[in-house]
Amino acid sequence: AGVLAAHKITASSPDTDLPTVSGLRKMGVNFTVSNKDTVKSSDVLFLAVKPPIIPFILEEVGPDIEARHIVVSCAAGVTISSIEKKLSTFCPTPKVIRCMTNTPVIVREGATVYATGTHADVEDGRLLEQLMASVGFCTEVEEDLIDAVTGLSGSGPAYAFTALDALADGGVKMGLPRRLAVRLGAQALLGAAKMLLESEQHPGQLKDNVCSPGGATIHALHFLESGGFRSLLINAVEASCIRTRELQHLADQEKISPAAIKKTLLDKVKLESPSLSVASASKVSLFTNKS
Amino acid sequence: GKVPASSILASAPSDKNLDTWRESGCRTTHCNLEVLQESTLVFLATKPHILPGVLQEIRPAVGPHHIIVSLAAGVTLQTLQRLLPARTKVLRLMPNLPCVVQAGAMVFARGSGAGEGEAALLKSLLSSCGLCEEVPESYINIHTGLSGSGVAYVYLFAEALAEGAVKMGMPGGLASRIAAQTLLGAAKMMLETGEHPAKLRGDVCTPGGTTIHALHQLEKGALRATVMNAVEAATNRACDVAED
Repeated sequence: AGVLAAHKITASSPDTDLPTVSGLRKMGVNFTVSNKDTVKSSDVLFLAVKPPIIPFILEEVGPDIEARHIVVSCAAGVTISSIEKKLSTFCPTPKVIRCMTNTPVIVREGATVYATGTHADVEDGRLLEQLMASVGFCTEVEEDLIDAVTGLSGSGPAYAFTALDALADGGVKMGLPRRLAVRLGAQALLGAAKMLLESEQHPGQLKDNVCSPGGATIHALHFLESGGFRSLLINAVEASCIRTRELQHLADQEKISPAAIKKTLLDKVKLESPSLSVASASKVSLFTNKS
Repeated sequence: GKVPASSILASAPSDKNLDTWRESGCRTTHCNLEVLQESTLVFLATKPHILPGVLQEIRPAVGPHHIIVSLAAGVTLQTLQRLLPARTKVLRLMPNLPCVVQAGAMVFARGSGAGEGEAALLKSLLSSCGLCEEVPESYINIHTGLSGSGVAYVYLFAEALAEGAVKMGMPGGLASRIAAQTLLGAAKMMLETGEHPAKLRGDVCTPGGTTIHALHQLEKGALRATVMNAVEAATNRACDVAED
């Protein structure tokens, strides 16, 4: 997103048939199938694999991790201490940052938080923040808040998509063509969110500002309240947060066996000469677990 | 405290209701007409079905200098004006119970004969009993649903708060007093800071703390919608009753 030149980025994936791979190549990102090579030529490593794969990736690249590397994990539920523990067998003071982002980074309106590990410096955090701020909002948090963030803004887009689908249904029921209903619903939420972010006012006040006495909006809001709209949203955030903690707990106990991971993925590490990469590159590893 | 007791004349058919007035030092009578003769500002505080009869009785004595304020629920300005001489200064007032402790919420509406001077006079007199605002007549029934009956909703809420505390082990009397003080304090903060209640609510909620857990319970119970339903029901009932 304009912060880093594409040629400074190296991406690695064992499976070269993925659509993400061709997308990255088109952007001008260096591509390799060797995680090890990527590590050697990079300073910042983004581990963008599914949580169960993290231990295996760390085992694989561990020996090549040096003091200069900043290991950034976006894996849900994977704690900094678990990563540090894994890497400490290879490197005494591994720099680890844990982050949680969300899908709208794709349109540069992501919500990202990060927590710095034991050996990560303030500048390391700042570097990550600078990178992620180019695709949306990014701020540092204490690690113990990351599950709550997952519940809110990690899963949040899904709540919004559900709401938008339903709003569009409402529009269609009352006579609007579907495409227009979707467009208007999305714009309404986008506009409301923008108003809130740019305003000093409490959302309750902004709501009041829309509700003329005895008018259409207050009648509609009454329906939302009757349906327990607010508590449903609170429940949703809570459920997502709790589930994240559960998954993390399961992962800590390493209940997911290696057999669950496709053997072919682990075997597919070919040694190829990497493309030219410069210091301060970031690495993206892409595995899709098709099972 | 705005008007000396000796300037107040109260009239009722029997002595039963007049003792309290006498005790405050007001003069009393059994003759409605006497009130009209002695006073400029006249409050009509009878039950709604009695009022038409009283209006008929006092009509001959009503003059252009009089200011007639009706507290009868559901009796419209139109009705009042119809039963009184043309161009009489008529106002309609809807108080609520806590006026008796000078913390009332009152609204009044002006009839066509009453001007800004009468409104200002009434507002200035009644402000000593609490909040007093002029409104369009159409708001009066809403005021009933919100604040007239609303006092009862608060009593219900206070009782429930106290019961929760009793369940958790606090003696009832203490729980009740604390519940009342909590409501009083919260209301005072709303009135004095002028801040939106949603903001004040947020200020009390530390992340992951006790308050937000409790609020979640209230939201699960759809408290907001239920309260909206209550205000709506009382308002609609006031409208229905008025039409009778």
